[in-house]
Amino acid sequence: MSLTLKGHAVAPGIAIGRVHLAERNELDIGEYRIGQDDVESEIQRYRNAVDAARDQLLELAERIDPEVAVPAVEIIQSHVLMLGDSKIRKSTEEHIQQELCNAEWALQSQLEKVLIEFRSMDDEYIRTRGEDVTQVVRLIQSKLSDEAASKPFDNIPDRLADTLVIAMELTPGELAILHERGVAGIVTEHGGPHSHTAILASSLGIPAVLGVHGARSLLKEDHTLVLDGGLGIIFADPDSATLEHYQDVQREAEHFRQSLESMRGRPATSRDGESVSLQANAELSRELQQAIDYDAKGIGLYRTEFLYLRGAPPDEEAQLAEYRSAIEMLNGIPLTIRTLDLGADKSSDALDFSQLRRSANPALGLRAIRLCLRDTDLFKTQLRAILRASAEGPVRCLIPMITNVQEIQRVHELLAEAKKELNERNQHYDHDLQLGGMIEVPAAALAIDQLGRYLDFISVGTNDLLQYALAADRGEELLADLYDLQHPGVVFLLKHILKQADKLGIPVAVCGEAAGDPRYTRLLLALGLREFSMHPARLLEVKQIVRNTHLAEARKAIREWLNDPVLQAETSLLQLLDQAQSSH
Amino acid sequence: MISSNVKIINKLGLHARAATRLVNCASEYVSEIIVKKGARSVNGKSIMGVLTLAAATGTELTIEANGADEKRALQAVIALIMNRFGEDE
Repeated sequence: MSLTLKGHAVAPGIAIGRVHLAERNELDIGEYRIGQDDVESEIQRYRNAVDAARDQLLELAERIDPEVAVPAVEIIQSHVLMLGDSKIRKSTEEHIQQELCNAEWALQSQLEKVLIEFRSMDDEYIRTRGEDVTQVVRLIQSKLSDEAASKPFDNIPDRLADTLVIAMELTPGELAILHERGVAGIVTEHGGPHSHTAILASSLGIPAVLGVHGARSLLKEDHTLVLDGGLGIIFADPDSATLEHYQDVQREAEHFRQSLESMRGRPATSRDGESVSLQANAELSRELQQAIDYDAKGIGLYRTEFLYLRGAPPDEEAQLAEYRSAIEMLNGIPLTIRTLDLGADKSSDALDFSQLRRSANPALGLRAIRLCLRDTDLFKTQLRAILRASAEGPVRCLIPMITNVQEIQRVHELLAEAKKELNERNQHYDHDLQLGGMIEVPAAALAIDQLGRYLDFISVGTNDLLQYALAADRGEELLADLYDLQHPGVVFLLKHILKQADKLGIPVAVCGEAAGDPRYTRLLLALGLREFSMHPARLLEVKQIVRNTHLAEARKAIREWLNDPVLQAETSLLQLLDQAQSSH
Repeated sequence: MISSNVKIINKLGLHARAATRLVNCASEYVSEIIVKKGARSVNGKSIMGVLTLAAATGTELTIEANGADEKRALQAVIALIMNRFGEDE
């Protein structure tokens, strides 16, 4: 008999398969007294359990493929921090000592105290973090109890293709294991939209419905199950109409995935034969690898902030080592290194935080090249590292947030000083290192015919350019309709940059989110853009659109639109461009 | 002891990932790090402490650092917060 159950829709996608009920041995936490003489050994037993729990979490974090599961790794890191948190660790040890009770019980008492604090929070997301603390404590308790429940997944098969796992709840680690084994979908009785299970399932792309009360008693092993993660509904033993409908949806999704996969290795050439360079924004090795796998013709934006957010600012050698490892991985694919794009300085003693704090709008404040030109030691260290990297492979240097010519001239001066310093040390670099500017400031975009004379290439940061041009914060959801690339003012701005740069003979790339958004690919192509730099995951989808676009038609359509204010007001440019394609 | 005010500007506020980065950053220094929101103050090296501040975006915090490397520690924590914990937004 068919049965429909509803829960929280947390991770979209369709899963069809057989039910598998995950069993978990519930821990039985008992209290017993220990003697004064046993306190030390009991604390040691507790510490060993914490260490074993940490080892298990770290081992798990190592095993998770970071390409698909950065959030999983980060959630596990937060659990590792909880293990060592004084609110658990120190207070449990004190409890053992003062109350002369066993470690399991001391830990349980501390958990309850901490949970009272979490449950009293107004913020639902923070309240939900109490679940994470509980999971961490359960892990330590399972280590204390040696074997029982320390391997809760014994009854889970190694391969879970076409299987939906039904559980009371799942820890991030368990979810990662299920993902590795190819689980089709998950259903849990506990957990809401803010749970880490939800966040993780969504980031891993596992269709999931959480908070289905009674799922484990209502569903039977080997039931056929259809799960609609987008609606938060599961159908057990569905009728044939439901099953066929979802099979169709699934086939279409699979078809789309395959059509993207078939783009690999094909040239990014339009229907009328113009070639486009599709590049990637990447810095971590997994992103670089993905860029290579998806045929990126270059790394159009290699951000360097991560080097500075790990602690003390990196010295020249440490930076060079990072750049060198990227160059080696890329094996000849050009790398465009963007200099530091930070809004606060960590190294300069001259910089006063009270001054930064007063800046009411950090987006318009002292950041990026503005900051670097005030801390020339920090900046020149980076320039020297980039120069030295340029001796080892194709490297370009990109300066963020250029506003005027004086800034570019100052960068040229500092670059010359850095080269001189390297000459004195007899160190090699590319004497023709190309210097590019990121155009994010609208006034700089309008003055591009002047700025462009001092630059070898241009990269347009559409995220900031749009927010500055439209005076709309891109993080403000209520203004999402204003933040629109199709605004005629923005289109004119982009057209102006591309046209003037073309006159000067310097290449232009777009490296903002618009470059990787398939909705805007045709618009940017029509405006004359031939270099796109985007998140590597978007490369194939954008390539597919390039290959399905007749460029001459797109150009014709946009020319009409640019010259006709009525058309601009009354039609959607994106639709117009799509229609121009289909009429061809 | 030195201190500085800073506003949380990343979209999600001090959620688990941001709190993890803050605690990892603070723990690199020997100085004691205190994070204050209004009258509440917590240990900047305790993930549970930092989480229970429930500092949403827009919240004004005071960071205090006390110890041998207090200046570098304070600068590192402030820079992390001002740069949205390295999140792409």
